[in-house]
Amino acid sequence: MRNVTPFSGISSSITTTQQPFQHPKELFSIKTIAIDLDDTLNNFTETLQNTDFSYKNSYGISPEKFESYLSQAKQAAVIDTDLEITDFTHFCYQIHEQCYLLAKANTDGVRFMHWLKEHHWKIIICTHRDLRLSITPTKKWLKENDIPYDYLFSAINKIVFCKLWKIPYLIDDSIFNIEYGKKYGIQVYYPIMEKHSQLPADVGKGFHSFDEVKQWIHE
Amino acid sequence: MDTRVELLKRFYNTMNPRMLKLEAEIYGFNFLDALAANDITLEYGQLSEKLIQKYKLLNLTEQHLNQFLQGHINKEYNVCQYFNQIANNIFCFNLDNNYKVNNTALIPETTLALKTLKQYLEEYALTPLVIASGRGYHTWCRLDTPVDNNQLFNFSIRIAAKVMASLHEQGYNYNKIKFSVYPNPRVVTRGSLRLFGSKHIKTKEFSYVYSSHGLLDETSSWKYFEKYLTSKIIAKDQFLQAHTAVLQEIQ
Repeated sequence: MRNVTPFSGISSSITTTQQPFQHPKELFSIKTIAIDLDDTLNNFTETLQNTDFSYKNSYGISPEKFESYLSQAKQAAVIDTDLEITDFTHFCYQIHEQCYLLAKANTDGVRFMHWLKEHHWKIIICTHRDLRLSITPTKKWLKENDIPYDYLFSAINKIVFCKLWKIPYLIDDSIFNIEYGKKYGIQVYYPIMEKHSQLPADVGKGFHSFDEVKQWIHE
Repeated sequence: MDTRVELLKRFYNTMNPRMLKLEAEIYGFNFLDALAANDITLEYGQLSEKLIQKYKLLNLTEQHLNQFLQGHINKEYNVCQYFNQIANNIFCFNLDNNYKVNNTALIPETTLALKTLKQYLEEYALTPLVIASGRGYHTWCRLDTPVDNNQLFNFSIRIAAKVMASLHEQGYNYNKIKFSVYPNPRVVTRGSLRLFGSKHIKTKEFSYVYSSHGLLDETSSWKYFEKYLTSKIIAKDQFLQAHTAVLQEIQ
């Protein structure tokens, strides 16, 4: 394990190392879970596909391009390009940002989050969203839907994040995370959707209701 | 206090002292607990490429800021600051390589854009401080008095447009670079910039000053930074004249 430089910026009395957590409170309740937002706690894809988005000048593209881009954004099309930021990626962000606020919370998921809180779980909302851009709508939506959490994190690779931060459980619909969770010792639970029908039986654990997860994390 | 901390505080003195972003290798819940124990709020964290952790921190005191800046100078982590929401005495052009891979490479479009940008600024007697950012350049202009963010933006966005147009006219593809201007009033609380004195989190390269003689070494960069602050600061009236001229040129 790597020793981390004493964190002079915070307190000279604190030397943080990547050792098992030593805080007395934590010795009694090392229960940590990471939970995804889009299509896990909300209906992001359904919102994206069913919302009638209107053309606005602020998109910075022509009405014709808007129609074409919108159609591709709704299909989650990936444009083959070497570039990081393009007109299309910028457009997609603007559409997604609207969905972040319009998406409906999964009431079963919200109840589950309260259950976790009541049972002293440390809750990390772990999203693929770029929080640099979307922190405001994300926090607003969480507050409006009364969703409790301890920390909000964005991670390009959630399995790496969970492994690094020693988070044993991840609830996420992503096929990549479900497949790779097992390999890296992260137990991934997922809300069963059509896209999961081709998954091998021995990876992850699908559920129809968050109540099922309560049983599994108590086992 | 380390004189370099004082220098940073002087240069960036209109930036928001209550919030910053930390780019670090440190992670773990005991680190987050240490922040909380010091009444620092973590707005969000981010795990990006190469296991780099980023933390947006709120509710900082002046003492916290001093300590973080010292850690930044000691190269324990990088500090990125956010602009004042109303007015600033600095503005910056951030030029980056826009490729998904190998994006720390210096491409011809970046070099030409920087050259053109400097030329346009100097035409208005605005002397910039150019710093190698690791993926391109940060071109800062420091004024003697704060100016409303809308005026800073209206000026800098037009200068950026002129640079892009110049690249296009010379047969280059400006889409190969990312060109952002700061402060942008629409997103002023979400866009932060790494301060001078950092090392790039991926390349581990120091943020060298780029002078007319090329890249300076670390010691010379600090000297140049200090010299810029004492002798090259731009008068507000000079900026306002440039602002008027550019707005007349590009409606």
